[in-house]
Amino acid sequence: MYKGTIRLCYRKVIDVHSVKPWDKLVFEDTYNELLLQSQYYNQEKKYTSFSDLITHVPAAEKLHFLVSAAVIGYLQQLQGKVPDLLNSLGRLFLPFNNYRFEIINSDLLHKAKHQVAINFFSDHLEWLDTINNQLLLSIPGNLENGEQLTELFTIPPFVSVYSIKPTANHGAA
Amino acid sequence: MERKHFLKNGLAALGLAAIAPLASACKKEADSTDGDSSSGTETGSCTVSPTETEGPFPTKSPSTLVKSDITGDRTGVPFTIKITVKNKNGDCSALSGALVDIWHCDKDGNYSEYGGTGMQSTNYTSVHFLRGRQTTDSNGLVTFTSIFPGWYSGRSTHIHVHIYNTAGKSLLVTQISFPEGSDSAVVAVNGSGGTSYGYTKGMSGYTYKEKDNVFSDDSANIELSTVTGSLSGGYTLTHTINVAA
Repeated sequence: MYKGTIRLCYRKVIDVHSVKPWDKLVFEDTYNELLLQSQYYNQEKKYTSFSDLITHVPAAEKLHFLVSAAVIGYLQQLQGKVPDLLNSLGRLFLPFNNYRFEIINSDLLHKAKHQVAINFFSDHLEWLDTINNQLLLSIPGNLENGEQLTELFTIPPFVSVYSIKPTANHGAA
Repeated sequence: MERKHFLKNGLAALGLAAIAPLASACKKEADSTDGDSSSGTETGSCTVSPTETEGPFPTKSPSTLVKSDITGDRTGVPFTIKITVKNKNGDCSALSGALVDIWHCDKDGNYSEYGGTGMQSTNYTSVHFLRGRQTTDSNGLVTFTSIFPGWYSGRSTHIHVHIYNTAGKSLLVTQISFPEGSDSAVVAVNGSGGTSYGYTKGMSGYTYKEKDNVFSDDSANIELSTVTGSLSGGYTLTHTINVAA
């Protein structure tokens, strides 16, 4: 039965083992941007690991945001669809406009330790029902001849329900 | 040709669907983002394989900082920033090929940054504003288009600058200050004339350079820029920075 309006979050981890072209570009460019911008917080070159840097220079937490400038161009290339996540028909379907980039680990001398995540937050979805292990979702406004089109989706690892807005008076239309 | 292609992809999809559950059953969760997953989701899903035409191949995309118009979604009095970089180690000749990062606050005194302290989501189309990167030309010059910065408590009006050499090595972190006399742009923009552009703070509570903890020791005015122009026509800042390259 109708549960409410939800947003899903997919935490896409990218590291030295990533193989997709898009992932590799993000890996390379976020590392290079980190090398550039970390110098502002590390002017005496005292730290090489990202964890040491943010431990000793709390303002370096801003690097998550600052380095994300290297990611925006790649987000635009996704044309508004969350990557990797497919509906039961095998198509990309999840619309997104919101993200949060984070540096998980890195080292200014060892690129192989660079590991980042892009959190993709989907736009609002109507969670209509749950069928076996699949969510029956609809994207608001996705109509055909007055019928609300729907998506079936199995939640894989690294995907969670980010938010929910239950609607008390909404019937199971 | 198309049919052959379809059959090949179809069989591949069937094959994967059959082995995927076994593969994922003995896979550690933490490993699920590793390895070749070009035939499935990156998330260890064992139900579907992609059956879509591949999207356009991703192309190398420069940092969104690389732009001359850094206004983004901000509004305010039009402002052009012209910074010339010279090399102290080269008889103060123009330094070409240097990367110049600048950032400053908006008319209300806010910088672009992630909101909140947790994992709040941010719209990627408007997250970066009033931050930019340009490479100096043969005259050592970079030019940015922006809006006149506002101010915030405790600080004089300023622009942050970080200059790197061509290879990305940090050469200098500095800030640029503004003239603040009664006929200055700072006073005009934050005065009554600026309110129609959205500058509503006035000059009450403003920290002048002499009291600013960054600029108060700059008695030689090395960090002080020249600002010309008018409210209606916009302002232009010019400034020269010497680095040791």
